[in-house]
Amino acid sequence: MIDALSRHRSLALLASVVLAQVLLLAYQIRKADSNVRLVRYWSVEASMPAARGGTWFFSRLGGFWSGYIDLHNARKENDDLRSQLGQLELRNRELEAQAAEAKRLEILLNFHSAHPEAQMLAAQVISASADPASDTIFINRGEQDRVRRNMGVITPDGIVGKVVEVFSTSSQVMLMTDRDMGVGAMFADTRTHGVVKGTGDPQPIMDYIVDDEKVAAGQTIVTSGEDRIFPKGLLVGTVAAAKEGNPFQKIQVRPAARLDRLEDVIVLVTQQELAPGKNGDGFGVSPAPPPPAPPAEATSSSTTLPAPGVTTPARSIASQPAQQGAPVH
Amino acid sequence: MATMLNTGLRSEQNVEVHKFYSGSALVVSFLALVLQAFFHKYGRIGDLVDVPLLVVIYFSVSRRNPATGLLLGAAIGIFQDALSHDNPIGLYGIAKTLVGYLASTVGARLDTEHPVARFILTFLFFHFHQVVLAIMERVLLNEHIPLFTLRLLIDSLVSAGVAVVLFALLDRLRRPS
Repeated sequence: MIDALSRHRSLALLASVVLAQVLLLAYQIRKADSNVRLVRYWSVEASMPAARGGTWFFSRLGGFWSGYIDLHNARKENDDLRSQLGQLELRNRELEAQAAEAKRLEILLNFHSAHPEAQMLAAQVISASADPASDTIFINRGEQDRVRRNMGVITPDGIVGKVVEVFSTSSQVMLMTDRDMGVGAMFADTRTHGVVKGTGDPQPIMDYIVDDEKVAAGQTIVTSGEDRIFPKGLLVGTVAAAKEGNPFQKIQVRPAARLDRLEDVIVLVTQQELAPGKNGDGFGVSPAPPPPAPPAEATSSSTTLPAPGVTTPARSIASQPAQQGAPVH
Repeated sequence: MATMLNTGLRSEQNVEVHKFYSGSALVVSFLALVLQAFFHKYGRIGDLVDVPLLVVIYFSVSRRNPATGLLLGAAIGIFQDALSHDNPIGLYGIAKTLVGYLASTVGARLDTEHPVARFILTFLFFHFHQVVLAIMERVLLNEHIPLFTLRLLIDSLVSAGVAVVLFALLDRLRRPS
C-alpha cells in the first residue's frame, strides 16, 4: 500500500487535493431542497448504509448468540419450568377440587338454611360397596356423630337412601336403587300412594299403582312419610315410563338425586316434615291442590293403599315402631 | 502539424525541465489573478481570456512535475474563487488542480516549446477546464452549464492565441540551463 502510494505519489497528492477541495465545496454549498450542507448530506448518506449494515449484522449476531450459543442454561431452565408447570397443574387441580367442594357445601348450606326446622348432618361419601349387586355407599359420619340406623340420607336434589349400618366414624347407606330398598312415595299432584322399590338398575320402579290410575311420564314423585324414614314431601324423582301390568302398573322412576355422582349428602336426624324450600330445591313439596273428583272406583284405588290383602312395604314401614332397626323391604 | 507533433514527441528522459528565477511563479500567478480581476471590470472582453488558467498551464508544462503543477493549480484556483463574489471556494480550485496535473504530465512526455503545440495544448486544456467546471456546477450547484458553445469556442481560440504570446514572454523568466 505504501509502495503503491510512493510510486503514484503525484496521483495520491492529486486525489488528496481534489478531495480536500470537494469537501471544502461541500461545506459551503447547501442542498437546494433541504438547506442542508452538502458535506452533512453526503456524510449521512454515506454512513447510513454502513449503519444499517451494522445494525443488521449485530442484530443477527445477537440473535445467533442468544438463539444458539447462549443456551447452556436452557435445558436446566426447561426442566425447572416443567417442574413448576407440574406443580402448578397439581395446585390448579387442588384449587378446582376445593372450588367444587365449596360449591357443593354452599348448596348444602343453602339447603340447611332453607330448612332450619329440620336437624341435618352433612356428610361426605367416602367409598362405595365392593359388591356389585349391592347399591350401597359409605359416608364419613357414624355413631360418634349421632347417626343411627334407618336415618334418611338426601341431597338437595332428592332422596338418596337410608342408613343401614352404623360404625363409629362411618356409616353404610343403602341407595334407593338397591333391590332391598323401598321408599314410601306418592305422586305430588294426585297424591296417589305407592312404594318406590329398587331393582338393582339405575331406575327403580314405583309399585302398587293400579292400572286405572292415569300416570304420565314426567310426573313428580315425593315421599309419603309412611316409611318413617323420610319425612313427607321429599322429592324422590319423576316418572320415566309407565305401562299397564297385572295387577299394578309398571312405572319406572328417574331418581331426582344423581346417585352416580354422590359426593356430599345430608343425613336427616329427624323425620320432621320439611317446609317448602326457599331456594327452589325439590324438598318440602307443597301438597298439591285436591285433584278433580275422580270416579268412585278410581278414587278408592288412588287413596294410598293397594287392594285389600296386599301388604305394601309402605304400609309395613308405617306399622313399624319409630325406633325400629330393620331395613325396609 | 504532423511534422510538428512528430518532432515534438520525445521520450520522457530527453525532455528538458526548465528552471525559473526564484519567486517568479509566485509573482506571475499573483499578477495573473490581479489582471483577471482587472479585466473582469470590462465584462465580456475580460471573460475572453482566463489568465490564471494560462499561467497554470505554462508553469505546469514547463516544470513537468505533476505535484508542483497540481499544487500550483489548486492555489491559483482557490485564490480565483476567493476573489470572485459568488463562487464557492474550490470550484476553480478543483478545475485548475486537474489542469495543472494533466499539463505537467503531458509536459513530461511531449515537447511543448513549439508555438503550435502550445496553441493546441491551451485550446484543449481550456475546454477540459470548462468541462470540469460544468460538471462540478451541475453536480454540486445543480446548475445546468453547457459543456460546449460557440462562445466557449471563441474564448478558447482567443485564450490559445494569447497563450502563445504570453508563454513566449514567460520564457524570459527561465534561468539559463
